[in-house]
Amino acid sequence: MALALLCVVAADAATTHNDDSCDIGVAPAATLLLPYFEVDLDRPPGRARTTIFTIVNTSQYPQIARVTLWSDLAYPVVNFNLFLTGYDVQAVNLYDVLTTGATGGFLTGPGQRSLANDLNPNHASTPCPREVLPQALLADVRSILTTGRMPSCGAGQVGTMHSRTTGYATIDVVNSCDVTFPDDTAYYDELLYDNVLIGDYQHVNPDPTFGNYAGASPLVHIRAIPEGGLAGAKVTPNFPRTFYDRYTPPASPHIDRRQPLPSVFAVHFVQGGQGAFNTNLQIWHEGITGGTGCNRYFGHFKTPVTEEVRFDEHENPTELNPEIRIAAYQYITVTLPATSVTPTSSYIFPPLWLFSGADVGGWLYLNLTKPSWVTAIMQAEGRYSGASDAQMLGNGCSPVLAAKAVIGPAPNAQP
Amino acid sequence: MKTIVLAFSLFIAVALNAGTFPSGSPSTTNNDDSCDIALLPAATLLLPFFEVDVNAPQSVARTTLFTVVNTSQVPQIARITVWSDLGFPALNFNLFLTGYDVQSINLYDVLVRAVIAPPGGTSSSTDEGARSLLNDANPNFASNAIAACSINPGPVPAAIMNDIRNALTIGRISGCGTNQIGLTHANAIGYVTIDVVKTCGLSFPDSAAFYNDLLYDNVLTGDYQSINPNSATGNYAGGSPLVHIRAVPEGGAAGAPTPVTNLPYTFYDRFTPRATPKMDRRQPLPSTFTARFIQGGSGGFSTNFQIWREGVTGAGATCADYPKNGGSAMFVTDVVRFDEHENPTGLAPCLPILCQLFVPLLPVTSGTASFSSNYPPPAGADVGGWMYLNLNNGGSAAYSRTRASQNWVTVSMFAEGRFSTAVDATALANGCTPATASGATIGPGPNTVP
Repeated sequence: MALALLCVVAADAATTHNDDSCDIGVAPAATLLLPYFEVDLDRPPGRARTTIFTIVNTSQYPQIARVTLWSDLAYPVVNFNLFLTGYDVQAVNLYDVLTTGATGGFLTGPGQRSLANDLNPNHASTPCPREVLPQALLADVRSILTTGRMPSCGAGQVGTMHSRTTGYATIDVVNSCDVTFPDDTAYYDELLYDNVLIGDYQHVNPDPTFGNYAGASPLVHIRAIPEGGLAGAKVTPNFPRTFYDRYTPPASPHIDRRQPLPSVFAVHFVQGGQGAFNTNLQIWHEGITGGTGCNRYFGHFKTPVTEEVRFDEHENPTELNPEIRIAAYQYITVTLPATSVTPTSSYIFPPLWLFSGADVGGWLYLNLTKPSWVTAIMQAEGRYSGASDAQMLGNGCSPVLAAKAVIGPAPNAQP
Repeated sequence: MKTIVLAFSLFIAVALNAGTFPSGSPSTTNNDDSCDIALLPAATLLLPFFEVDVNAPQSVARTTLFTVVNTSQVPQIARITVWSDLGFPALNFNLFLTGYDVQSINLYDVLVRAVIAPPGGTSSSTDEGARSLLNDANPNFASNAIAACSINPGPVPAAIMNDIRNALTIGRISGCGTNQIGLTHANAIGYVTIDVVKTCGLSFPDSAAFYNDLLYDNVLTGDYQSINPNSATGNYAGGSPLVHIRAVPEGGAAGAPTPVTNLPYTFYDRFTPRATPKMDRRQPLPSTFTARFIQGGSGGFSTNFQIWREGVTGAGATCADYPKNGGSAMFVTDVVRFDEHENPTGLAPCLPILCQLFVPLLPVTSGTASFSSNYPPPAGADVGGWMYLNLNNGGSAAYSRTRASQNWVTVSMFAEGRFSTAVDATALANGCTPATASGATIGPGPNTVP
């Protein structure tokens, strides 16, 4: 089959346009995804691990970016808006947000090459004040992002437990500085379609004992296709699914027009060796909605990954099927929360081949079932760190791959 | 007057938005079917910049490592070409990749120790993995491929390697006499291309013979790390994906002049045979980027832009031609710096005779600080912001048509002598987008047919 695919010459490029395919690239977008953040709130700023992200409005028009912070089980915890004048740049240190409530956004006059702040014809007329999150709200936010609990949920959990605040963030172009969340149908009356935002993020661990390094990567740039127009316009893209389609109104499931993320990845790892290398995989994984009550967020653990295969430096494969045996008669299912960081040496990934010998590197094939994003963070000697997005083996419109399918680039076929 | 201007702006805005509702969008949901550069398996990988300290011991020497993965079960051959910063192809070697193979290359090992890979690590004699096909199972391989790759690649002779180091440090190579084929710097600097080919041959991308070897299978992925282990001058590392350049359409035998891609031009356009200028079918790279910077502040931040640019020389260039790839023909169309308050500063317009006085001339690959004179100074005291880079060099007679030149930008940030990151800059449009003029409205490229 693979041979046949290699021999077949595919059709010509169907498009040479911008914003006209299912491929995720680093190009101006309507939604940015920060796939994982981690902030240590128990240490002073100079020693606390934090995540900083920066967004840029690449257009001369003013834009409003709605930032939503989600728990690691995809509970939308808190949001705030950033009013961006034309060509604005705005950095947000999540340590600042979660400790002082300062969102970083402030209204400024436009620069010489920017249009006036009231010149975006897609904006609603409501004003956009500078936002500071109140301390009472922040206490709940911090609780959700660390213990997974909040008062209104009692014993129910909307996140898992960890010592540091952990979650992910979405950043969308919207038409007003409102407070709706993406899991609310009203959100899609505010969502805009202008591919104008770009951004990157840094994980900084300044503590010389536990970290002493930083790593950065672009935010995930998710474009709206077709782009432009007023909020709430029901233009249906020909995507098989969209990024927000689990939240969009049932009558118009693709109203967000956002490109879907892929589910199959190839990622390089090094673990061990002279430099004591370590590779962590930062994985954002689309969750499952449905059901009622706070505990429904644990539904994220209901979808097992389809297949994982580790190839060592000599192409020896080791496999992990959805169920792995951890004792003579005990099996567990490998599932993932909405966002996580896991070392490649973890039991949730296949072990190195028994006879790999001195091999310390290779690559992992990950068929994660659901739309996902994977970033490899490599660290060594307590001073080096590099972050690199994993390679997709197909785009988000590629057909779902079954377990045991031939591993390789996805075919160039219509979904 | 102000009312008229506002009304006109609104008209443009509405017109822009009205023009963005193509029916049946997107035009494609297929893989390998657009001009967008993305992190998907590719037929060519570009390491846009490397820097290796060839004079220091390995424990403290700055180096660049890259890793290539064959994501298919079919064996592949990757031709690695090491180029100088003036675009002179100085060295090449082949990696035979069994199905699902991974191969890391430390350029310090290559340039200083003359070692490319562990013995037997990357030849057709390597055993296949349990899920890989046999090493002779690629139907697109040349009939001599298995034999030609059986002892490949061996240690590079010392005399040759000395010549290569000279090419990458002082810009001189024995075959070119006193002509500069690279710029002068203490460390070896250049860039690398990695292409799927049909056999372990020696042809370079600037020769017509290369295009009889070049294949079209989008199967390679890769990343790279720049490491500076010297605690006095560095003490950090940064990594980024290699630039993944796909062949569109993909597949088929080497040397086939058809099918002709409908990409307007291709990555290797300046080297391909004139009769078949798009024969490589590789996606073109963009010309306009946005790159963020921080310079100064309490953390002592600094930002370097690593910029790869398409040269102006073509196939058949002589030794005397390579300085053109760092000369006046390599001007930059437009650079605008926006600070944190959106205050723009730009370079003076490029006057035809006085370009060298007013605009930066960046060679084929370089790493320059964001505070250097290549870029406009900041407008005020802000330490951060972003840069608009229109890197189009205005074209060259070596190009098959009038078009924008190709480029790639990576942003490296440093702080406190211990933090370092590397992030690809954002392309404002893909490589099929028409050239943007100097002084044009800055923004995402239009969604129009080129």
